[in-house]
Amino acid sequence: MLFPTVEYALFFLIVLAIAWSLYRFPLYHKSFLLLASYVFYGFWNWSYVPLLFGISLFSGLVAQRIQRSTDRKQRKRWLIGGATACLATLGYYKYTGFLLLNLLALWGRFAKPPAIPVDSPLLPLGVSFFVFHAISLLMDCYRGKVKEPVQLGDALLYVAFFPQLIAGPILRASRFLPQLAKSRDPNKVRVNRAFLLIVGGLFKKVVISNMLATRLVEPVFAVPQSYGGLDTLLAVYGYAAQIYCDFSGYTDIAMGCALLLGYRFPRNFNAPYTSTSPQEFWRRWHISLSTWLRDYLYFPLGGSRKGGARTAINLMITMLLGGLWHGAAWTFVAWGGLHGALLVIHRFWSRIGWTPLLRWRATIAWKWTARILLFHAVCAGWVFFRASSFEIAFSVFSRLATAGPATLAATPVCIVLFLGLAGQFAPTRWRNGLELEMGRWPALARGAALAVALTVIEILGPTGVAPFIYFQF
Amino acid sequence: MQTMTHSIRQMFLALAGCAVATLLLESGGLASWAHHLELGPLRTVAVPVTERVERALRPLGMAALREEALESLARVGWSDDPALLAMVSAPSAMPNRSGCATEAAPAGLGSAAGALAKGASFPSPAQHNGFLNAAGAQAPLATGVPRVTVLAPLPPIEPGKQRVVALAGDSMMAVGLSATLMRQVAGNGHLRIVKTFRSGTGLARPEVFNWMDEYPAMLGAEKPEVVIVAIGANDAQGFVVDGKVLAFASDAWEKVYQQRVASYLAMVSAGGARVVWMGLPPMRIPVYDEKMATLNRICYTVVSQSPQAVWWNPTPFVGDEAGRYREYLTLANGRSMRIRAADGIHLSDEGAGLLTPVLLKWLDPPPPAVASAQTAPVASAPPAAPVARPKRHSKRAARG
Repeated sequence: MLFPTVEYALFFLIVLAIAWSLYRFPLYHKSFLLLASYVFYGFWNWSYVPLLFGISLFSGLVAQRIQRSTDRKQRKRWLIGGATACLATLGYYKYTGFLLLNLLALWGRFAKPPAIPVDSPLLPLGVSFFVFHAISLLMDCYRGKVKEPVQLGDALLYVAFFPQLIAGPILRASRFLPQLAKSRDPNKVRVNRAFLLIVGGLFKKVVISNMLATRLVEPVFAVPQSYGGLDTLLAVYGYAAQIYCDFSGYTDIAMGCALLLGYRFPRNFNAPYTSTSPQEFWRRWHISLSTWLRDYLYFPLGGSRKGGARTAINLMITMLLGGLWHGAAWTFVAWGGLHGALLVIHRFWSRIGWTPLLRWRATIAWKWTARILLFHAVCAGWVFFRASSFEIAFSVFSRLATAGPATLAATPVCIVLFLGLAGQFAPTRWRNGLELEMGRWPALARGAALAVALTVIEILGPTGVAPFIYFQF
Repeated sequence: MQTMTHSIRQMFLALAGCAVATLLLESGGLASWAHHLELGPLRTVAVPVTERVERALRPLGMAALREEALESLARVGWSDDPALLAMVSAPSAMPNRSGCATEAAPAGLGSAAGALAKGASFPSPAQHNGFLNAAGAQAPLATGVPRVTVLAPLPPIEPGKQRVVALAGDSMMAVGLSATLMRQVAGNGHLRIVKTFRSGTGLARPEVFNWMDEYPAMLGAEKPEVVIVAIGANDAQGFVVDGKVLAFASDAWEKVYQQRVASYLAMVSAGGARVVWMGLPPMRIPVYDEKMATLNRICYTVVSQSPQAVWWNPTPFVGDEAGRYREYLTLANGRSMRIRAADGIHLSDEGAGLLTPVLLKWLDPPPPAVASAQTAPVASAPPAAPVARPKRHSKRAARG
C-alpha cells in the first residue's frame, strides 16, 4: 500500500478514528496500532509478516535480557548475539546473491566455478529499516538510554509502526519508547503541521519526483549514449532533485501521519543541497540514517578520537558500509566511498589554518562556491547510485562532455526541476507562518483547503503511482 | 500567543471538511479510481458508490472543470498520457475515439482515463466490430508453445535508409529489454528505435490503459517496419465485460483476451510491419508462472495465425534445461551472472543481454562478405515441434 493512493487514505482514516477512540485504553490503543501495522505490511506480502514479527519479538526479548543483566560482559554478549542475528537476517535476504556472485567471480580466477543452483531470497519490503530499528533497540538498552523496562508490546510496535515501517525515518528506541509509555493527549495534536507535511510530501512525490523520473531521469540513465551533454546534465540534476523529493516526500508524509496519531518522528531532511561541506550535508540528508551510522558504527570504531589516519579509516568504513546498506551492488559501495573520500578530504581541508584562507572561507562568495562544488560532488555520487552498472555510470559521465541539444528540457520538466532544487532555499519561517495562519481558520475551512491542495496534486501528477525509491532498500 | 496544537475534535472536523470537499472536487477522479481497482470486494463496493456520488454531483460541474483542467495541462505539455496529448493537439486525428465503446466504461468519468475508457475500442462478444475477424481472434487455443522459433530473414536495409523498429509492450519490455537493446543499437546508423511501451499496462484492463488509443498516439507519424512486443505480465486478472465479471482463465475470459490480443496484433502489424511477439519467460512464483503459461498459449495461438508475426520464446535463453525459472546463469567462460530482476518477474539487463544479440542480428544482419549465410533463418537453438510447457513437480524442484 503506497502513501499516495486512495487505498492508503481510506486505511489511514479508519486507523486514525479507531486509534483515537481507544486513546483512554493504552493497551488496546497500542495493540490496535500494532495490528494495523501488520495489516499495512501484509498488503504487500503476508508471508513476510512472521519475519517482521519474529525480528521485533527477538529484539524485544534480547533487549529485556540486556536490561535485566547486571554483569557488563553478559550484557555485551547479549548485545553482540542479538545484533549479529539481526544483521545475519539482513545479510541473508539482501546480500546472498551479491556474495554468491562475487565469490564465484573470485573462484573463476583460479578454476571454472560451479553453476549457482539456488535462487536468492526475495527481498522483504523495508527489511533494512526494521532490522536497523531492532538494532537500535538493543544498542540503546545496552547503553542505558532506555530508562524504563522494555515492554514486549512496545518493542513490537516500535519496530513495526506503519508510518515508518517501509522507508523510515529510523526511529531511536530511546526516543520513541517513552512516547509509547505515555498516554496520548487528545488536546495536543499538531493538526496544521501534519496537514502541511502531508501536502508537501505528496507534492514532492507525486508531482516533482514522478515527473522527473519518467520524463528526464529514466530515459537518460537507460540509454545515455542517445543523449547529449545538456540532456545528461539535466538528468543528473534531475535525479538529485528526484531522490530528494521522493525520499523526503515519503518521510514528510510519514511524519504527518504520525503527528495526527499523536506521535512525533525526528526530522529526516533539512534542505541538504544548501550545505557547504560534506559534514553539513550528512547532518541534513537522511539524518536518521547518518546519526544511526555515527552512533552505532563510527563511534564504536573509535570515531575521531584516535588520530587523523584512524579517523579517515573510520569515516571510509562507515560510508562504505552505509553505501552497501543501500543496495547489494558495487555501485552503491562506490557511492559510499565517494562520500567517505569527501568527508576525509574536507576534514583535512578544514584543518588548514592559513590566515588568508580562513578569511576567504568566511566570505559569502566562498560559501556559494563551496555549496556549488559540493552539490556537484553529490551529483557525481548520485550517478553511481542511480546507474545499474559502472558501465552506465561512466557512460553518463562521458556524455556530459558531448555536445547535443536539450531534447528533454520541456517547460514542465524545467519547472519541477527548479522547484525540487530551489525549494530547499525557501525559508522555514514561511511554513511556520502558514501553520500559524491556518490556526486562525475554522476547522472545516482547513479541511477544505486540504482537499483543494490534494485535488491540485492529483491533477498535476502523472498517471499511475511509482513506488518510492527507498522501498528497494 | 497562538497555539500550534488542536484537539482531536478539531482534527476530525477538519478531516470531515476535507472529505466533503474532496467528494465535491474529485467525484470524477474517485469514480475513475474505483474502476481502476482490481476485481475484488473493494471494487465491488467502490464502483457503485463512487458512480452514484459522481452522478449526483455532476450538475455542479466540478467533474467537467476537472476534465477541462486536465486538457489544459495537456495543451501546455504537462500530461504524460500520449493519447490525451494527441487528442488535445488534434482531436480529429484520434483513432477509435467515437462509436465503439464496448467495455463497461464508468458513466461520466471525469478523468482523462475515464475519457479513454469511454473510447475503449477492444471488441466484446456482444458488440463486435471488424476486429473479431482479425487473424487468430477465434482460432482454437493451442495446447502448448514452441520452445524454439525461427525468425525468417527481413529484407535488406536499403542503402542510406534506416529500419524503424518499434519496441512495444508493458514492463516486460520497459525493464531490462528495451534499455539493453537501445544501448546496443545506439550508434548503429541502420536502425532507429521508437519507444511504444509503458510499465503497468496490459491488454486485460483497457479502462485503465487502452493500448488501442495509446499505441497510435505513441507512434505518431512513425511507420515501423518491425515491431517487437513484450506484453502480458499484468494480465493475469479478471475483468468486466458488458457488466459481467469474467474470472481469469475461464473460457469466456480466454475468448475475450484472445480477441484483444488479435486486435492489438492487427493494430501493431498494420501497414505491413513485421512483428516479433516475445513470449513471457518462466516466472519465479509457481502459481504466477502457470498463469503466464496460459497467457503464452493464447498469444501464441493468435500470433501463429498471422503471416506477418512470429511468437518468440525467451525460455531457451533465460530458463533452465527443463524450461523452468532460473535466477543465475554461469556462462561457458565461467562468468556467473544474475539474469532476472530481484522481483523474479522481469529480466535483468544481463538477462536481456542474452536475447538482444539474436534480435540485433536479425534486425541488422552483417553484410554478405562477413556472413555468407545471411539469408538463413536466425534461430537460437535447433528447431523443434511445438511442445507443452513442462509441468512442475514441486515448488522446491522448481526453485532448485
